[in-house]
Amino acid sequence: MEKTWLRDYIIKRLFYALIIAWGVLTVTFILVRVGPTSPADKYLANLAARGEEPAQVIAAIEARYGLDKPLYEQYASYVGNLVRGDWGWSLSTSMPVIELIKTHWIYSFQLILLSTILAALVGILIGIYSAVRQYSKTDYIATFFSFIGISIPNFWLGVMLILLFSVQLGLFKTYYDTGVPLFSLANLKQLILPVITLGTGMMAGYTRYTRSAMLDNLRKDFVRTARAKGLPERVVIGKHVFRNAVLPLVTIIMFDLGSIVFGGAYLTEIVFGIPGLGRISFNAVFADDYAVVVAVTLISAFLVLLINLVTDIAYAYLDPRIRYD
Amino acid sequence: MTKKGIKHLAGRVGGIKNLILILLAALWLLTLLLDIFVVERIFTPLGYLYLALGIVFLLYVVWPLYTSRRLVRYYWQRVKRNRLAVVGLAFVLFLILLAVFGPLFTADPTAANFEEKNMPPVGLSIEESIYNAETGQFITKTITGTWEHPLGTDNKGRDLLAMLISGAGVSLQVGLLATGIAIALGTLIGVVSAYLGGKVDNILMRFTDIMMTFPFFLLLVFIVFIFGPNLAFIVLVIGLTGWTGVARLIRSETLSLRTREFILAAKALGASDGRIVLAHLIPNVISLIVVIATLSIPGVILAEAALSFIGLGDPAVTSWGMVLRAGQQSLDTTWWVAVAPGIMLFFTVLAFNFVGDGLRDAFDPRSSV
Repeated sequence: MEKTWLRDYIIKRLFYALIIAWGVLTVTFILVRVGPTSPADKYLANLAARGEEPAQVIAAIEARYGLDKPLYEQYASYVGNLVRGDWGWSLSTSMPVIELIKTHWIYSFQLILLSTILAALVGILIGIYSAVRQYSKTDYIATFFSFIGISIPNFWLGVMLILLFSVQLGLFKTYYDTGVPLFSLANLKQLILPVITLGTGMMAGYTRYTRSAMLDNLRKDFVRTARAKGLPERVVIGKHVFRNAVLPLVTIIMFDLGSIVFGGAYLTEIVFGIPGLGRISFNAVFADDYAVVVAVTLISAFLVLLINLVTDIAYAYLDPRIRYD
Repeated sequence: MTKKGIKHLAGRVGGIKNLILILLAALWLLTLLLDIFVVERIFTPLGYLYLALGIVFLLYVVWPLYTSRRLVRYYWQRVKRNRLAVVGLAFVLFLILLAVFGPLFTADPTAANFEEKNMPPVGLSIEESIYNAETGQFITKTITGTWEHPLGTDNKGRDLLAMLISGAGVSLQVGLLATGIAIALGTLIGVVSAYLGGKVDNILMRFTDIMMTFPFFLLLVFIVFIFGPNLAFIVLVIGLTGWTGVARLIRSETLSLRTREFILAAKALGASDGRIVLAHLIPNVISLIVVIATLSIPGVILAEAALSFIGLGDPAVTSWGMVLRAGQQSLDTTWWVAVAPGIMLFFTVLAFNFVGDGLRDAFDPRSSV
């Protein structure tokens, strides 16, 4: 009974995920196709500057990318190619998009991973402390700073950090150096400012979520029971209250990844010149390189989908209450 | 048409207010179609957005506020007790005044003047080395800020104060208009989805899921990349992509209202679906809508600023993001150009967050503020 329930739930979720993935592909396709210019037009502008015959070039490009075929055929080949792992050709860097992504994803990944871990650790600890000592001076200070952290535009924070620590004090380089090996202290050092830039807003958010989730649970009856039993406060807070507060917290952290963090990482990469997926998409935008922009948008959407799917399933597995919904 | 006929018609759509709304909306659409197909440019694209939102605002915000003054006074008493919310509100009002009347007193924010470039704010002075072509040497020149440019100028000699005031206008326009679109769309989709349920609900919610799967900012970049930057279009896109969260919240609120007695009573009296949605469901989620609207303005303002910051904003208008971009490119000389727009953005976002939090507490009967 228990097992089949979980299996059914996972199958249902997977089915939904497939529908959403299809929807994401279709929305992207429609947006590209209803756009005022064809990818060929933009490429043409590039070539015309080199003095080639426009009409021939357009025809050649349209034939190469199947833009001359009927729309449903284009759609079918677009979906088919993506599923087969053919993500197109990057015109500005002259390499397959998939190769471009393979070499650059790690830079985004390290930034997001470090920021998330740091923000979650510090944010949750401050949140717990503020909830336990509600209305204390520390609580007010933490609340005040979390308001600031949420409201500060992260790209501006990045510029200010560069101004203060790199330009004025000369402690860091103003630009991310790709020559540094990934797993080295020098790389960690040059990630300090980007991680603060991306992590501050996240940390402020997590502090607030944790505080309110802890406060909700602190008022519950089982806490009074635990205290009446004479359990030490450390156990009451650590086991009874925190464990109940942590599940919704994980959902929020996961949800934030997609809605806020990816956008924040995009901007952080641009500010610091980190060659991650955001930066290559940004370069592609200004080089009119359709395939790369489409690919990065799709990949980020698929990642969000995957993260949500895993969170939902893990949640159902860990929290028996939602099974009766 | 007779008085009785109007009353009957109004009853079918949920009151005289909705009848006026529908008539004005039809008129608006007619003008728009005329504009597109027959004559050229009756209003600018932004003008149409203002008109549409102005109509909704008058009928659904100003009118209810006017007819229930006692309730407004009660809520204002509650909001007033939250000091931060009052400060936030004061800042927002200040910003509106600045955006409306500021341009009358300042220079053209786009006018470059290389004679007066790199001027620091009043009270500061910087040293700049200038190449002298005659002697072939660098000479050091001290530039001191003057009252002519209280906040200094950038590396093209544009007045920073004028640029900030222009940016305030852009940010407020984008914040209010795009939020208005997103809220209207989200409310409609949320209420309809919850009220009709079944297949409609399923389809609308799956569509919401699909839109929510795209990271918001990346979707914006993608769309602006394809269609090109233009302020009216950016407002429209932020509005058309930002409704998903609103729709979810309104839907869950409506779901809990749907089975309440007053809805059942309205149904039993033979009210149509349109009347129930417009006259009973939406008025009951209005306070939630106001709170969500206030709290989503900061995100919208930041999204536009970020777009301009990376160079995807409307090149024809001076926005805070664009000023910050200019400042970032010359951080080692004119650092004040990078500092100032961020401070404005920061305080604006903070102010709207304070007001939103204050309103939420005031509307929540459980809170004892």
